[in-house]
Amino acid sequence: MQLQGNDGGSRNYLSSQELSVLLQSFGKTRSKEVFRQLFIFFAPRLKNYFLKGGASLELADELIQETFVIIWRKAELYDERKASASTWIYTIARNLRIDHFRKERRYLYKDDRFFSKELVVDETQFESHHQAQLSERVQKALPLLPAEQSKIIKLAFYEDASHSKIAQYLQLPLGTVKSRMRLALVRLRKLLKGVEP
Amino acid sequence: MINHHLSDETLWAYVTGSLPAGHALLVSCHLELCKACQGRLAEAEALAGALLQTSEQLNTSDELFERLLLRVESEKPSRSLSCISRPKPRQGVPSDLWGVLGQGYSGIKWKVVGPGIRQFVLPVESSEGEKARLLKLSPGYMTPEHSHHGSEMTLVLKGSFSDETGRYKVGDVQEADDLVHHQPVADTEEDCICLAVTDAPLAFKGLLPKLLQPFFGI
Repeated sequence: MQLQGNDGGSRNYLSSQELSVLLQSFGKTRSKEVFRQLFIFFAPRLKNYFLKGGASLELADELIQETFVIIWRKAELYDERKASASTWIYTIARNLRIDHFRKERRYLYKDDRFFSKELVVDETQFESHHQAQLSERVQKALPLLPAEQSKIIKLAFYEDASHSKIAQYLQLPLGTVKSRMRLALVRLRKLLKGVEP
Repeated sequence: MINHHLSDETLWAYVTGSLPAGHALLVSCHLELCKACQGRLAEAEALAGALLQTSEQLNTSDELFERLLLRVESEKPSRSLSCISRPKPRQGVPSDLWGVLGQGYSGIKWKVVGPGIRQFVLPVESSEGEKARLLKLSPGYMTPEHSHHGSEMTLVLKGSFSDETGRYKVGDVQEADDLVHHQPVADTEEDCICLAVTDAPLAFKGLLPKLLQPFFGI
Protein backbone atom coordinates (compact mmCIF):
# COMPACT_ATOMS: atom_id res chain seq x y z
CA MET A 1 0.00 0.00 0.00
CA GLN A 2 1.15 3.53 -0.75
CA LEU A 3 0.93 6.14 1.94
CA GLN A 4 0.36 8.77 -0.65
CA GLY A 5 -1.00 8.71 -4.16
CA ASN A 6 0.29 11.11 -6.76
CA ASP A 7 -3.00 12.83 -7.36
CA GLY A 8 -1.84 16.41 -7.70
CA GLY A 9 -2.06 17.05 -3.99
CA SER A 10 -5.76 17.69 -3.62
CA ARG A 11 -6.25 14.78 -1.22
CA ASN A 12 -3.15 15.36 0.86
CA TYR A 13 -3.47 18.97 1.87
CA LEU A 14 -3.52 20.53 5.30
CA SER A 15 -3.59 24.23 6.09
CA SER A 16 -0.60 25.96 7.69
CA GLN A 17 -2.61 26.24 10.86
CA GLU A 18 -3.30 22.50 10.97
CA LEU A 19 0.34 21.70 10.26
CA SER A 20 1.60 23.97 13.02
CA VAL A 21 -0.82 22.36 15.46
CA LEU A 22 0.46 18.92 14.43
CA LEU A 23 4.11 19.82 14.82
CA GLN A 24 3.57 21.51 18.15
CA SER A 25 1.51 18.61 19.38
CA PHE A 26 4.20 16.15 18.38
CA GLY A 27 6.79 18.22 20.30
CA LYS A 28 4.67 17.92 23.42
CA THR A 29 3.21 14.44 23.21
CA ARG A 30 5.77 12.52 21.09
CA SER A 31 2.78 10.72 19.60
CA LYS A 32 3.80 8.31 16.83
CA GLU A 33 0.45 8.81 15.14
CA VAL A 34 1.04 12.58 14.90
CA PHE A 35 4.58 11.92 13.67
CA ARG A 36 3.09 9.68 10.98
CA GLN A 37 0.66 12.39 9.91
CA LEU A 38 3.52 14.85 9.53
CA PHE A 39 5.36 12.24 7.49
CA ILE A 40 2.37 11.60 5.24
CA PHE A 41 2.08 15.28 4.52
CA PHE A 42 5.72 16.25 4.09
CA ALA A 43 7.56 13.16 2.80
CA PRO A 44 6.06 13.29 -0.75
CA ARG A 45 6.85 17.00 -0.97
CA LEU A 46 10.37 16.57 0.38
CA LYS A 47 10.93 13.80 -2.14
CA ASN A 48 10.10 16.23 -4.93
CA TYR A 49 12.39 18.83 -3.35
CA PHE A 50 15.38 16.52 -2.98
CA LEU A 51 14.98 14.85 -6.39
CA LYS A 52 14.79 18.19 -8.19
CA GLY A 53 17.89 19.24 -6.26
CA GLY A 54 19.83 16.44 -7.92
CA ALA A 55 19.50 13.60 -5.41
CA SER A 56 19.08 10.01 -6.61
CA LEU A 57 15.98 8.08 -5.49
CA GLU A 58 17.97 6.34 -2.78
CA LEU A 59 19.57 9.55 -1.57
CA ALA A 60 16.19 11.34 -1.58
CA ASP A 61 14.79 8.61 0.69
CA GLU A 62 17.82 8.92 2.94
CA LEU A 63 17.49 12.71 3.15
CA ILE A 64 13.76 12.43 3.90
CA GLN A 65 14.62 10.07 6.75
CA GLU A 66 17.29 12.42 8.06
CA THR A 67 14.87 15.35 7.92
CA PHE A 68 12.42 13.39 10.06
CA VAL A 69 15.12 12.24 12.46
CA ILE A 70 15.81 15.93 13.15
CA ILE A 71 12.09 16.67 13.47
CA TRP A 72 11.90 13.79 15.96
CA ARG A 73 14.78 15.19 17.98
CA LYS A 74 13.96 18.88 17.90
CA ALA A 75 10.20 19.23 17.61
CA GLU A 76 10.01 20.51 21.17
CA LEU A 77 11.93 23.62 20.05
CA TYR A 78 9.32 24.49 17.47
CA ASP A 79 7.65 27.82 18.19
CA GLU A 80 4.68 28.69 16.00
CA ARG A 81 5.13 32.40 16.66
CA LYS A 82 8.48 32.22 14.91
CA ALA A 83 7.71 30.20 11.82
CA SER A 84 5.12 28.03 10.20
CA ALA A 85 5.69 24.26 10.39
CA SER A 86 6.49 24.22 6.66
CA THR A 87 9.13 26.91 7.05
CA TRP A 88 10.69 25.14 10.01
CA ILE A 89 10.82 21.85 8.13
CA TYR A 90 12.06 23.58 4.98
CA THR A 91 15.09 24.98 6.81
CA ILE A 92 15.92 21.49 8.10
CA ALA A 93 15.67 19.99 4.62
CA ARG A 94 17.64 22.79 3.02
CA ASN A 95 20.42 22.50 5.60
CA LEU A 96 20.63 18.77 4.93
CA ARG A 97 20.85 19.39 1.21
CA ILE A 98 23.65 21.91 1.74
CA ASP A 99 25.33 19.51 4.13
CA HIS A 100 25.28 16.87 1.44
CA PHE A 101 25.98 18.79 -1.76
CA ARG A 102 27.64 22.01 -0.62
CA LYS A 103 30.00 21.00 2.10
CA GLU A 104 31.98 24.24 1.84
CA ARG A 105 28.93 26.19 3.04
CA ARG A 106 27.67 23.90 5.73
CA TYR A 107 29.13 25.95 8.60
CA LEU A 108 26.90 28.85 7.55
CA TYR A 109 23.70 26.83 7.75
CA LYS A 110 23.94 25.13 11.11
CA ASP A 111 20.58 24.12 12.51
CA ASP A 112 21.31 25.77 15.85
CA ARG A 113 20.71 29.27 14.63
CA PHE A 114 17.40 28.35 13.08
CA PHE A 115 16.19 26.83 16.30
CA SER A 116 17.28 29.66 18.55
CA LYS A 117 14.79 30.75 21.13
CA GLU A 118 15.00 34.39 20.19
CA LEU A 119 12.17 35.80 18.24
CA VAL A 120 12.96 38.12 15.38
CA VAL A 121 10.44 40.88 15.33
CA ASP A 122 10.56 43.61 12.77
CA GLU A 123 7.93 45.75 11.16
CA THR A 124 8.81 44.27 7.78
CA GLN A 125 8.07 40.76 8.96
CA PHE A 126 4.74 39.10 8.42
CA GLU A 127 2.22 39.40 11.18
CA SER A 128 1.42 36.09 12.81
CA HIS A 129 -2.00 35.92 11.19
CA HIS A 130 -0.23 36.26 7.86
CA GLN A 131 2.04 33.36 8.79
CA ALA A 132 -0.94 31.08 9.10
CA GLN A 133 -2.43 32.11 5.78
CA LEU A 134 0.85 32.39 3.96
CA SER A 135 0.91 29.09 2.11
CA GLU A 136 -2.63 29.57 0.94
CA ARG A 137 -1.70 33.02 -0.29
CA VAL A 138 1.45 31.74 -2.02
CA GLN A 139 -0.62 29.15 -3.81
CA LYS A 140 -2.81 31.90 -5.18
CA ALA A 141 -0.01 34.40 -5.78
CA LEU A 142 2.47 32.27 -7.72
CA PRO A 143 0.31 31.83 -10.84
CA LEU A 144 -0.12 35.61 -10.91
CA LEU A 145 3.59 36.13 -11.49
CA PRO A 146 4.84 36.34 -15.06
CA ALA A 147 6.17 32.90 -16.05
CA GLU A 148 9.68 34.26 -16.58
CA GLN A 149 9.74 35.49 -12.97
CA SER A 150 8.31 32.44 -11.23
CA LYS A 151 10.68 30.22 -13.21
CA ILE A 152 13.68 32.07 -11.81
CA ILE A 153 12.33 31.92 -8.25
CA LYS A 154 11.83 28.17 -8.58
CA LEU A 155 15.18 27.47 -10.23
CA ALA A 156 16.91 28.83 -7.15
CA PHE A 157 14.50 27.04 -4.82
CA TYR A 158 14.50 23.57 -6.31
CA GLU A 159 17.69 23.27 -8.25
CA ASP A 160 20.00 25.18 -6.00
CA ALA A 161 21.10 27.23 -9.02
CA SER A 162 23.12 30.37 -8.32
CA HIS A 163 22.33 33.63 -10.12
CA SER A 164 25.13 33.05 -12.61
CA LYS A 165 24.10 29.40 -13.22
CA ILE A 166 20.53 30.55 -13.92
CA ALA A 167 21.89 33.21 -16.28
CA GLN A 168 23.92 30.56 -18.10
CA TYR A 169 21.02 28.13 -18.23
CA LEU A 170 18.46 30.62 -19.50
CA GLN A 171 21.06 32.43 -21.65
CA LEU A 172 20.25 35.76 -20.08
CA PRO A 173 22.53 38.50 -18.80
CA LEU A 174 23.24 38.20 -15.07
CA GLY A 175 21.63 41.58 -14.45
CA THR A 176 18.39 40.42 -16.07
CA VAL A 177 18.25 37.33 -13.85
CA LYS A 178 18.78 39.44 -10.75
CA SER A 179 16.23 42.06 -11.69
CA ARG A 180 13.57 39.46 -12.55
CA MET A 181 14.15 37.75 -9.24
CA ARG A 182 13.90 41.09 -7.46
CA LEU A 183 10.69 42.00 -9.27
CA ALA A 184 9.17 38.63 -8.48
CA LEU A 185 9.94 38.97 -4.78
CA VAL A 186 8.65 42.52 -4.56
CA ARG A 187 5.44 41.41 -6.29
CA LEU A 188 5.08 38.34 -4.11
CA ARG A 189 5.57 40.38 -0.98
CA LYS A 190 2.78 42.73 -2.03
CA LEU A 191 0.50 39.84 -2.94
CA LEU A 192 1.22 38.05 0.31
CA LYS A 193 0.62 41.10 2.43
CA GLY A 194 -2.68 41.56 0.72
CA VAL A 195 -1.65 44.94 -0.63
CA GLU A 196 -2.63 43.70 -4.07
CA PRO A 197 -5.73 41.60 -4.65
CA MET B 1 22.26 52.56 12.04
CA ILE B 2 22.56 50.43 8.92
CA ASN B 3 21.41 52.19 5.75
CA HIS B 4 22.46 49.84 2.97
CA HIS B 5 20.83 46.42 3.07
CA LEU B 6 20.88 43.13 1.19
CA SER B 7 18.95 43.03 -2.05
CA ASP B 8 15.92 40.76 -2.37
CA GLU B 9 17.62 38.57 -4.96
CA THR B 10 20.62 38.04 -2.71
CA LEU B 11 18.42 37.18 0.27
CA TRP B 12 16.45 34.69 -1.82
CA ALA B 13 19.65 33.05 -3.07
CA TYR B 14 20.82 32.80 0.56
CA VAL B 15 17.53 31.30 1.73
CA THR B 16 17.50 28.71 -1.04
CA GLY B 17 21.14 27.85 -0.31
CA SER B 18 22.18 28.74 -3.85
CA LEU B 19 24.60 31.56 -3.05
CA PRO B 20 28.31 30.78 -3.60
CA ALA B 21 30.23 30.26 -0.34
CA GLY B 22 31.94 33.66 -0.06
CA HIS B 23 28.71 35.53 -0.79
CA ALA B 24 26.86 33.36 1.72
CA LEU B 25 29.51 34.22 4.32
CA LEU B 26 29.04 37.93 3.66
CA VAL B 27 25.25 37.63 3.91
CA SER B 28 25.44 35.73 7.14
CA CYS B 29 27.81 38.39 8.60
CA HIS B 30 25.42 41.17 7.58
CA LEU B 31 22.46 39.30 9.05
CA GLU B 32 24.23 39.05 12.37
CA LEU B 33 24.56 42.85 12.43
CA CYS B 34 21.22 43.86 10.91
CA LYS B 35 17.86 43.41 12.64
CA ALA B 36 15.90 44.68 9.64
CA CYS B 37 17.39 42.05 7.34
CA GLN B 38 16.78 39.34 9.95
CA GLY B 39 13.11 40.22 9.61
CA ARG B 40 13.34 40.10 5.82
CA LEU B 41 15.14 36.75 6.07
CA ALA B 42 12.27 35.34 8.13
CA GLU B 43 9.91 36.60 5.46
CA ALA B 44 11.88 34.95 2.63
CA GLU B 45 12.10 31.72 4.62
CA ALA B 46 8.35 31.83 5.10
CA LEU B 47 7.98 32.08 1.36
CA ALA B 48 10.29 29.08 0.88
CA GLY B 49 8.28 27.13 3.44
CA ALA B 50 5.09 27.98 1.60
CA LEU B 51 6.65 26.79 -1.67
CA LEU B 52 7.46 23.46 -0.03
CA GLN B 53 3.97 23.19 1.43
CA THR B 54 2.31 23.77 -1.92
CA SER B 55 4.77 21.80 -4.04
CA GLU B 56 4.18 18.70 -6.14
CA GLN B 57 4.20 15.34 -4.40
CA LEU B 58 5.92 12.10 -5.29
CA ASN B 59 5.01 8.68 -3.95
CA THR B 60 6.80 7.48 -0.86
CA SER B 61 6.46 3.96 0.50
CA ASP B 62 5.09 2.70 3.81
CA GLU B 63 8.33 0.91 4.23
CA LEU B 64 10.23 4.20 4.41
CA PHE B 65 8.17 5.28 7.40
CA GLU B 66 8.66 1.89 9.08
CA ARG B 67 12.43 2.15 8.65
CA LEU B 68 12.33 5.70 10.01
CA LEU B 69 10.47 4.56 13.12
CA LEU B 70 12.99 1.79 13.75
CA ARG B 71 15.77 4.32 13.49
CA VAL B 72 14.36 6.99 15.81
CA GLU B 73 13.01 4.56 18.38
CA SER B 74 16.43 3.06 18.89
CA GLU B 75 17.82 6.52 19.72
CA LYS B 76 18.58 7.45 23.28
CA PRO B 77 16.54 10.39 24.57
CA SER B 78 18.41 13.56 23.68
CA ARG B 79 19.90 16.02 26.11
CA SER B 80 18.06 19.22 26.80
CA LEU B 81 17.88 21.56 23.82
CA SER B 82 16.57 24.61 25.55
CA CYS B 83 19.48 27.06 25.70
CA ILE B 84 20.27 27.71 22.05
CA SER B 85 20.86 31.35 21.24
CA ARG B 86 21.62 33.38 18.16
CA PRO B 87 25.34 33.86 17.33
CA LYS B 88 26.87 37.17 18.37
CA PRO B 89 29.90 39.14 17.09
CA ARG B 90 33.14 38.51 18.95
CA GLN B 91 35.43 41.52 19.48
CA GLY B 92 33.40 43.23 16.76
CA VAL B 93 33.99 40.33 14.33
CA PRO B 94 30.84 38.57 13.09
CA SER B 95 30.91 35.00 14.39
CA ASP B 96 31.04 33.23 11.02
CA LEU B 97 33.94 35.42 9.93
CA TRP B 98 35.64 34.72 13.25
CA GLY B 99 35.17 31.06 12.45
CA VAL B 100 37.09 31.52 9.20
CA LEU B 101 39.81 33.80 10.65
CA GLY B 102 40.20 32.06 14.00
CA GLN B 103 41.08 35.49 15.46
CA GLY B 104 40.24 39.20 15.51
CA TYR B 105 41.32 41.82 12.97
CA SER B 106 44.46 42.84 14.89
CA GLY B 107 46.23 39.53 14.31
CA ILE B 108 45.72 39.40 10.54
CA LYS B 109 48.82 39.24 8.34
CA TRP B 110 47.86 41.82 5.72
CA LYS B 111 49.52 41.95 2.32
CA VAL B 112 50.17 45.29 0.70
CA VAL B 113 48.59 45.45 -2.74
CA GLY B 114 49.13 49.12 -3.47
CA PRO B 115 49.60 52.44 -1.69
CA GLY B 116 47.13 52.59 1.19
CA ILE B 117 45.46 49.29 0.43
CA ARG B 118 46.08 45.92 2.01
CA GLN B 119 44.27 42.65 1.65
CA PHE B 120 43.91 39.25 3.21
CA VAL B 121 42.46 36.52 1.00
CA LEU B 122 40.11 34.37 3.04
CA PRO B 123 40.50 30.60 2.89
CA VAL B 124 36.93 30.16 1.70
CA GLU B 125 36.59 27.22 -0.63
CA SER B 126 34.41 28.20 -3.52
CA SER B 127 33.39 27.72 -7.09
CA GLU B 128 32.45 29.90 -10.04
CA GLY B 129 35.58 32.05 -9.92
CA GLU B 130 34.54 33.58 -6.64
CA LYS B 131 37.03 35.20 -4.28
CA ALA B 132 36.51 36.43 -0.74
CA ARG B 133 38.97 38.82 0.87
CA LEU B 134 39.29 41.35 3.61
CA LEU B 135 40.42 44.77 2.41
CA LYS B 136 41.96 47.41 4.60
CA LEU B 137 41.91 50.94 3.23
CA SER B 138 44.01 53.68 4.82
CA PRO B 139 42.20 56.98 5.48
CA GLY B 140 41.88 59.13 2.41
CA TYR B 141 43.33 56.55 0.07
CA MET B 142 41.45 56.25 -3.17
CA THR B 143 41.10 52.79 -4.68
CA PRO B 144 41.64 52.59 -8.43
CA GLU B 145 38.49 53.41 -10.32
CA HIS B 146 37.03 50.16 -11.54
CA SER B 147 34.02 48.50 -13.00
CA HIS B 148 32.93 44.87 -12.83
CA HIS B 149 32.58 41.98 -15.22
CA GLY B 150 30.62 40.04 -12.67
CA SER B 151 29.47 41.36 -9.33
CA GLU B 152 31.17 42.56 -6.20
CA MET B 153 29.63 42.59 -2.73
CA THR B 154 31.20 44.58 0.04
CA LEU B 155 30.37 44.64 3.74
CA VAL B 156 31.91 47.31 5.97
CA LEU B 157 33.29 45.79 9.17
CA LYS B 158 35.21 48.75 10.58
CA GLY B 159 35.40 52.46 9.70
CA SER B 160 33.59 53.68 6.60
CA PHE B 161 34.01 54.47 2.92
CA SER B 162 32.29 56.63 0.36
CA ASP B 163 31.91 56.45 -3.37
CA GLU B 164 29.67 57.84 -6.07
CA THR B 165 26.74 55.84 -4.73
CA GLY B 166 26.85 56.97 -1.12
CA ARG B 167 28.46 56.51 2.28
CA TYR B 168 28.93 53.05 3.77
CA LYS B 169 29.41 52.49 7.48
CA VAL B 170 29.76 49.41 9.70
CA GLY B 171 27.19 46.80 8.70
CA ASP B 172 26.35 48.47 5.38
CA VAL B 173 26.39 46.34 2.25
CA GLN B 174 27.19 47.42 -1.26
CA GLU B 175 26.19 45.23 -4.17
CA ALA B 176 27.89 46.40 -7.36
CA ASP B 177 27.10 44.74 -10.65
CA ASP B 178 28.76 45.07 -14.03
CA LEU B 179 27.14 48.42 -14.69
CA VAL B 180 28.71 50.20 -11.76
CA HIS B 181 31.89 52.24 -12.05
CA HIS B 182 33.14 53.33 -8.71
CA GLN B 183 36.08 54.61 -6.75
CA PRO B 184 35.70 53.96 -3.03
CA VAL B 185 37.64 56.05 -0.50
CA ALA B 186 38.02 55.51 3.25
CA ASP B 187 36.51 58.72 4.54
CA THR B 188 37.42 58.97 8.22
CA GLU B 189 40.62 59.10 10.28
CA GLU B 190 40.29 55.38 10.85
CA ASP B 191 41.31 52.43 8.66
CA CYS B 192 38.36 50.94 6.84
CA ILE B 193 38.09 47.15 6.91
CA CYS B 194 35.70 45.49 4.49
CA LEU B 195 34.76 42.00 3.48
CA ALA B 196 34.71 42.01 -0.32
CA VAL B 197 33.50 39.13 -2.45
CA THR B 198 33.88 39.07 -6.20
CA ASP B 199 32.53 36.45 -8.55
CA ALA B 200 34.53 37.49 -11.58
CA PRO B 201 37.73 39.48 -12.18
CA LEU B 202 37.44 43.21 -11.65
CA ALA B 203 38.06 45.32 -14.73
CA PHE B 204 40.27 48.25 -13.80
CA LYS B 205 40.30 51.44 -15.80
CA GLY B 206 43.56 53.20 -16.58
CA LEU B 207 47.15 52.00 -16.83
CA LEU B 208 48.28 52.10 -13.20
CA PRO B 209 45.26 50.13 -11.95
CA LYS B 210 45.97 47.58 -14.69
CA LEU B 211 49.49 47.25 -13.34
CA LEU B 212 48.09 46.78 -9.85
CA GLN B 213 45.61 44.14 -10.94
CA PRO B 214 48.07 41.23 -10.68
CA PHE B 215 48.65 42.17 -7.04
CA PHE B 216 45.00 41.74 -6.26
CA GLY B 217 45.39 38.20 -7.49
CA ILE B 218 42.14 38.38 -9.40
